[in-house]
This record gives sequence, C-alpha cells and structure tokens, in this order.
Amino acid sequence: MSPSMVRLVSLTRREVSRFLKIPRQTVGAPLLETFLYISIFGAALGSRVGDLHGYEYIVFVVPGLIMMAFAINAFTNNSSSILQQKFQGAIDDQLSSPASPGQLLLAFTLGGFLRGLLISVVTFLVASLLIDLPVKHFYILIPALFLVGWFFASLGVLVGVRAEQFDDVSFAQTFILQPLIFLGGVFYSASLLPEPYETLTHFNPVYYMISLVRYGFLGVADISVWLSLALLTAATAALTFANYRMFKSGYKLRR
Amino acid sequence: MSSSSANPPDPSPPALEITDLVKRYPTGVEALKGVSLEIADGEFFGLLGPNGAGKSTLIHCSTGLASPTSGEIRVFGHDAVGDYRQAREAVGLAPQELNIDWFLTVEETLDFHGGYFGMGKKDRKERVDELLESFSLVDKRNDRTRDLSGGMKRRVILARALMHRPRLLILDEPTAGVDVELRLELWHYVQQVNSEGTSILLTTHYLEEAEQLCSRIAFINGGEIVDHGSSDELAERFGVGSLEDAYLELVGRKELSRAHVGIEAEDGQ
Repeated sequence: MSPSMVRLVSLTRREVSRFLKIPRQTVGAPLLETFLYISIFGAALGSRVGDLHGYEYIVFVVPGLIMMAFAINAFTNNSSSILQQKFQGAIDDQLSSPASPGQLLLAFTLGGFLRGLLISVVTFLVASLLIDLPVKHFYILIPALFLVGWFFASLGVLVGVRAEQFDDVSFAQTFILQPLIFLGGVFYSASLLPEPYETLTHFNPVYYMISLVRYGFLGVADISVWLSLALLTAATAALTFANYRMFKSGYKLRR
Repeated sequence: MSSSSANPPDPSPPALEITDLVKRYPTGVEALKGVSLEIADGEFFGLLGPNGAGKSTLIHCSTGLASPTSGEIRVFGHDAVGDYRQAREAVGLAPQELNIDWFLTVEETLDFHGGYFGMGKKDRKERVDELLESFSLVDKRNDRTRDLSGGMKRRVILARALMHRPRLLILDEPTAGVDVELRLELWHYVQQVNSEGTSILLTTHYLEEAEQLCSRIAFINGGEIVDHGSSDELAERFGVGSLEDAYLELVGRKELSRAHVGIEAEDGQ
C-alpha cells in the first residue's frame, strides 16, 4: 500500500473505530429506535391505517425508516466526531500530518457514511425477516441510498466544522434535520395531505430523497424519479465541493 | 536572524528557516510581525518569551495548524505551505495542550499517528513497541488515554511526536506542570534524541531548562524576535549576569531580578 493510501486508510480507520468503540450509543441505540418505530407503526397502528399505494402500512413505512436511519446516523456521527476532536484539540494530530485536504475530508465523510450504512443494512436485514419487503428497482435504490448517505454525512462534516459548541450540533439536528425528515413523508404519503401541506411538502428536499428510496423498494412514486436522482446528485456534489473548499482553506479548522 | 553568516557554509539545508513571517488574525491582532529565524540541522534551539509573545503562533504556522499571512517557512528546504507534505513529514510536534483523543488507547494513539504519516503496519508495530519501552508506557498500552495521569499523557504526546521519526522535533512547553522526576526524564530523552541527530525547537518558560538544553536561544516579544545567541552571549549583551536577568530586561521587569531584590534587601538591613 502506498504511503498516501496508508494515510487515507488510517484516517478512516480512526473515524470508524470511534463509533465501534461505543456501540451501545452509536449502533445499539439507533437500531432500537428504528425497531420501536416498526413496532409502533407496524404492529400497533398499521392495521388501523390500511394500505398505502397498494402496500401494507408497515411495508410502506420501512423504506423511509431505512433512509432516515442512514441520514441521521451519517449526520450525527460526523458532526459529533469533528466537534469533539476540535474541542479536545486532538484534530491537530490529523491537521499537522501530511494528509491532503481531500484525504481529510474523505475520511471524515466516510466515518459517518459507514456508520449510517451499517445501521441501515442491519435494519433492512431484520425488517426483511419480519415483513415481506420487496426491492423493485435495485438500480435506483443503491444510488439513491448512496447519495442520501453521502449528502447527510457531508452535511454532518459541514456542521461539525462550523460548530463552536455542542449546542450548535444539536440545534441543527433537532430543529432542522429532524423536522425536515419527519415532514418529508417517512410515515405517510404526501398525497394524503390536505392543501396547502401537500404543496409545501414539495419544497422539502428530504421528500424527494424518501420518495426515491421508497421507489427503489416498492416501485411507487409521485415524483419524477430521474429528475429527483439528478437533483440529488447535483446537491450532493455541490455540498462535497463546498466542504472541499472549506478544508482547503482551513476554515474553522486551522488557526 | 541568521547563524550561518558567522559559520562556514553548510551543505545541508537548515532544519527550519523562517523569513519575514507575518501572522495577522481575522480579529486584526498581529501575532507575528515579520519574524526571521534559522535553526541549523542538528541544533537544539530555544525560543523564550512571555505569554502571548507569538511562540505558539510561530509553531502553528510551521506545522500547518495556522496559515501564515505572509513570509516564508522552509523545513529542511521544503516550503511549509506549497510543499507541505514533505515539510510536515519532517516535523514532529508535541504541543502545549494535552491534545490526545480520549477514546483511543495509548497504542492506537501512536499507531494512527504513524498511519497519518504513511508508515506501514509492520514499521508502526515495531516503532510503537520501541516508544512504549522508552517512555515506560508498556503496561499502559491498552489503557484509554483519558484514564492516564497528566504526566503519562505528557509522555504519550512526546512519544506520538516521535512516532514517525521526525528530523525536526518541536516541543511547545513540554515540561509545563510535570513533576521533577518526569521533567528530568524528558530532558534526558530529548537530549538523547538530539544527540542522535534530530533538530529540536523548544519553547519554555523555564529559563533553567533553556540554559541546560539549548545551544542557542532567541527571545521573542510582541511578535518580534528581539535577540538571539547562546545563553552567555545574551546575558553579556544585556549587560546582566544571567539568562534570567536578560529575559527580565527584555520584558521590562528588571525590578524582579533576584540580584536586584537581593541588593534591596541588603540595603534595608
């Protein structure tokens, strides 16, 4: 392995080891949360809601839950990890190393991405045992999940670098991210909403992400799939580029 | 400031060559006002100055932790900004703060650091074993760093700085707050590292430490290098008897001189 590759692998290993060291908090808790949603909305409430787009309510909800688990974990991991290392000053060890801005950014982004991936894969596997979850459009599902994960992992990096206190990170998660995800249609179909809420939902970018993932699993969508995929690709690329610029300039990282 | 003018030309580039370095923070504070400094390959160099004089800023600029506003920094001839990869590979930094990650064990702290510097797995393993042995950390190998005492953390930080075998070791107040035994142990270790050819830049508030370890010393105050030379040269130039008195002259607090206080006490008797 070249020294440059050793650098990237070590930087990434460090991020992965962080969340694997505290598995109850980083893996156990989010899995429990997802299964509580499945229990409540599937077993308890699902039978009263009836079918949505021809699927049992629980089957309709699970794709959104998988996407939500990916998004929130990717975001939380990166924003917390970066802020914590900035707080301890430990990040200086990476910053004073020969690693390039691109390598640093890639490793920090991958940390949360891999945590989100792990949790969403486990959720998918367990959900597959409990319910009959189809995968209708694999070729849409994989890029959609990859892009959603990368987008939120990058957003976590952006917030973590800009944050100056832990409150900044929890504010972004509680007051921006969570409402956007919950109102984006994880638990319902936007078409069931009365006006003006249905139209308002179309201004929520997370709505398109959930719809894409749901289309990948169930094959139903009330959005233009290819346009949404193109826009999500563009947004993810723009965010990654903005982060790269931030790492290159050393904004809020270097003094 | 240059020591090379008095010496015969040296074919190897200086360990650290700083020319007209200016660092202005966005707040407008000018922490460094055109600093020039040269540390020869193999030299043990001390940088003294009061708090806020610019010592840490100079170190941050030299290690990539701060971006210089203007001026040039070369580490063994490599531009620390344009050619940062080679420059940073040559530098090991033991910062003032105990900035180790609480989540990592002692071994992981060293191993990851080696990885950031591109060291292969086998090399890292050997080097970690060697450093744990040297710093009496073998039985702490699997301890999380947050569980270590302050002195132990200080050892880990020095071991980490040495992990990738740097040619220039930068020590920013390495003995602040450590007990006498560890201070002497650290002195012994850095002297040994220096005798093996590693150049060292040391900042400290302990003048005795600078006198004991450094062949040359520079005084920095208000973001400017105000003088440099050996401990004896500085005392002579300031017309005082010791490095401490020269330092007090520099910071405008000569009334604190032990000699001065002693004379007043005698007068009073």
